[in-house]
Amino acid sequence: MPNKKAKPRKKIKESTGSLSRRDVLKIGAATGAVTILAPNIITSNKALAFTGETPPAEPSICATAPTSSPATTPFLDTFTAPFPAIPQELNPAPTEARNLAGGEAERANHQRWNEFPPDVEYELEARAGLHTFHSDYSPSYIWGFNGRYPAPTVLNLYNHPTIVRFRNSLPITTTTFGRNEISIHLHNGHHASESDGFAGDFFGTGFWKDNHYPNIYAGYDAYPPDGDEQEAMHSFWFHDHRAAFTANNNYLGLNGMFLVYDTKDPGHELATSGSLRLPGYYGITDFPIILTDKKFCLTENGRTELFNQVGGAAPGGDKWIVNGKIQPKMTVRRRKYRFRILNTGPAKTYDITLVKPDGSVGTVVVVGTDANFLEHPIPVDAGANAANSNSTTAPIVPGGLRVSVAERYDVIIDFSEFAAGSKLYLKEAQAQFVGVASPDPLPSGLAIENVLMQFNVVEREWWFPPDTTSIPSTLTTYPTLPSTDNTFEWQFVRDPPTANPRLFRINGQVFDAEKPSHCILKGTTEEWLLNNNVGGSAWVHPVHIHFEEFRVLKRFVNGVEVPVPPLMSGRKDVMRLEAGQGALIKMQFRDFVGRYLIHCHNMNHEDAFMMVRWDIVPDQAGLLNCQQQMAAHRKELEARFRKEEVS
Amino acid sequence: MKRRELFSITKPSFHPHPASPGVGRFTNALLRTHENKEVRFYDDLIRGKQVVVNFMYAECHGACPLVTQSLIKVHRALKNRMGRDLFFYSITIKPDDDSPAALEHYARTRRANLPGWSFLTGNAFDIETIRFRLFGMNHPGFDLDAAMHAGTLRIINDGTNCWTAVEAFASQKAILKHISWADPPKSYTDRLLESRVRQTLIDKDVKAYGYRRDV
Repeated sequence: MPNKKAKPRKKIKESTGSLSRRDVLKIGAATGAVTILAPNIITSNKALAFTGETPPAEPSICATAPTSSPATTPFLDTFTAPFPAIPQELNPAPTEARNLAGGEAERANHQRWNEFPPDVEYELEARAGLHTFHSDYSPSYIWGFNGRYPAPTVLNLYNHPTIVRFRNSLPITTTTFGRNEISIHLHNGHHASESDGFAGDFFGTGFWKDNHYPNIYAGYDAYPPDGDEQEAMHSFWFHDHRAAFTANNNYLGLNGMFLVYDTKDPGHELATSGSLRLPGYYGITDFPIILTDKKFCLTENGRTELFNQVGGAAPGGDKWIVNGKIQPKMTVRRRKYRFRILNTGPAKTYDITLVKPDGSVGTVVVVGTDANFLEHPIPVDAGANAANSNSTTAPIVPGGLRVSVAERYDVIIDFSEFAAGSKLYLKEAQAQFVGVASPDPLPSGLAIENVLMQFNVVEREWWFPPDTTSIPSTLTTYPTLPSTDNTFEWQFVRDPPTANPRLFRINGQVFDAEKPSHCILKGTTEEWLLNNNVGGSAWVHPVHIHFEEFRVLKRFVNGVEVPVPPLMSGRKDVMRLEAGQGALIKMQFRDFVGRYLIHCHNMNHEDAFMMVRWDIVPDQAGLLNCQQQMAAHRKELEARFRKEEVS
Repeated sequence: MKRRELFSITKPSFHPHPASPGVGRFTNALLRTHENKEVRFYDDLIRGKQVVVNFMYAECHGACPLVTQSLIKVHRALKNRMGRDLFFYSITIKPDDDSPAALEHYARTRRANLPGWSFLTGNAFDIETIRFRLFGMNHPGFDLDAAMHAGTLRIINDGTNCWTAVEAFASQKAILKHISWADPPKSYTDRLLESRVRQTLIDKDVKAYGYRRDV
């Protein structure tokens, strides 16, 4: 066993203008100080417990779908940010090669391990636990990291490589529809394939796997030694990606948030060099809003269980869950707050508006889409900024933010313009089941069924961080894209109604973990046409591409080019394609090689095999080999379904 | 009696998982096999067993023969298990047209009259119910069309209460893999051995091609 202390540690560069080690320590101290005061972080020491807890009894499953979940009183529970994950020294220490003796699941060696030896280490254990989604409910059986839902949030810094050890302690047999094998994808990390949570690389109970996150800016090699800051991404999330069971395992709770800070977005609000000074204290002025929908039923063992059925897709819920709670309330001071809205699905799309005390739509300023800052902030409301809304197809919600599964919208809400004592609401266009009248009178036109959460505005106390300066008009500039080396088209289809057998497919293919559908030479740039305009498909597909962020060059509706909507002008990793829509995107493939995925992030579609693998290969020989593999697979399928062989 | 003989005559006993949805979900409909044998859907065909179910009809000249063809190859690969702890059921979606004799003819002409594989017909309402219960995705677009899922193999292990599915048009290796996802749980030692084998392949790949190809 190599001595951890003897391992070469990454030298943290003292550099001008960017974050020095001392700055990092200062930030740490400042954040730590406020964290202690933080009223809105779950401070249960359960969040710290890793192993040794007796797992809860397996749930009794409701035999038939309940007509509705049990009723809940609105605004009973407090909105909180998930507790930050605590770094620890891993034992056994992480190694470049798979640690077979230590119980690690099989994997290729970590790429570029010597360049990016880990600075920070975490362990997140997937296991069964109990979570109370509402105070009116008894606890529910969930699968969560460290037994928690939502998972602890991992807070990281750029250029500080991290190992997250994902341990699988899920039950050997379960009465739920979950599958006790996991492959954890950090959406949309720029990582080597063996740490990317490839859908076919799942491992079972009793194993663990180290995911190596170098936390480098994409295109690292061209900008030594710190990479290109313009490539920064900030709001990530990690979730299970087990082939055919992604919706099930995510519905049970296997996902969480992962934020990466840098000079521009340092995780605090102090006047440090290069900082945008956006609201930035995690859990105090900067909150994830993790959305999911669930259905509950009371069972004879006294628990309020998540409704799920083997063989079914993740059921559509009738309760909208916000950071693990149903219709929570949040006390906000009269100042700006940052919310990183994340839709964890499994399948539902949200159309979100901010409702002011007078019932009108309030302004949210979008500063980031998916993991990336926009170049300029985009205000969205139903008035002067209505044109910025992306809720532009049925059901149109004026001023709405349409959030597809896996998308993130990083928004600033300024509560300073509202008097203390006023109440604001986040509204979702689709009604949920509530069953109890609102304890507070609601603004006119707002039904309690549409409320996601409530904001209670109060004066800022002396000890609470003062408001930040106004949002900078320029948040970032994007790197210039190199010329295109190759073009490719991905067609997202369901076989047309006249055809048999009506499968979800991408380019005519269903998911096969062992079959590359496209081969890319490392270091090249490609333009991809993502097309949901073929074969009479009438389905919505939020398309997700692993590995790097893309830029949208063109948008199409029924083959006709339309302007790129404002909220798609930034770098993204999920492209919502409604029926008839297409998008031309440009993407680079740098720094690492291996197997990656493009798939529909509606997890039910993804599990119905609407996912294909593409490979980044290191050299021309690899490219040739990859193309030969593709040809061989095509041949095998053709031979198998040759007419003469059939009859 | 020799140990080996004892094993060969002992039929595996089938126990459903405690959380199995049982007859309430599967129904216990009375069906007829292509050998004209009466069977109860849950009690005789599903209870505690690992099964692969697909829907077809005898006069289908589109996807059905392709799916059958695909299943024949899978059968060949799994023939040691077929009829012992693994079963294929091809259920007609046109029970009024497909008598047991018609299905027998289909199976014979397609060379699919193999051990552990039953072609099933019965009452139209029962079969529609079974189709809904097995493939019900709570979506009218999926559920109302009988041709839907004609290319999908539903894989169920009632003993572990594991359900999954695979497209019949995936590669044979992929189909076998998906079926194995519903296998009874393996011991840690067995999984460790499998993991070792996979690790060897990964290392070979990386050495030869610079990355894990896994093809």
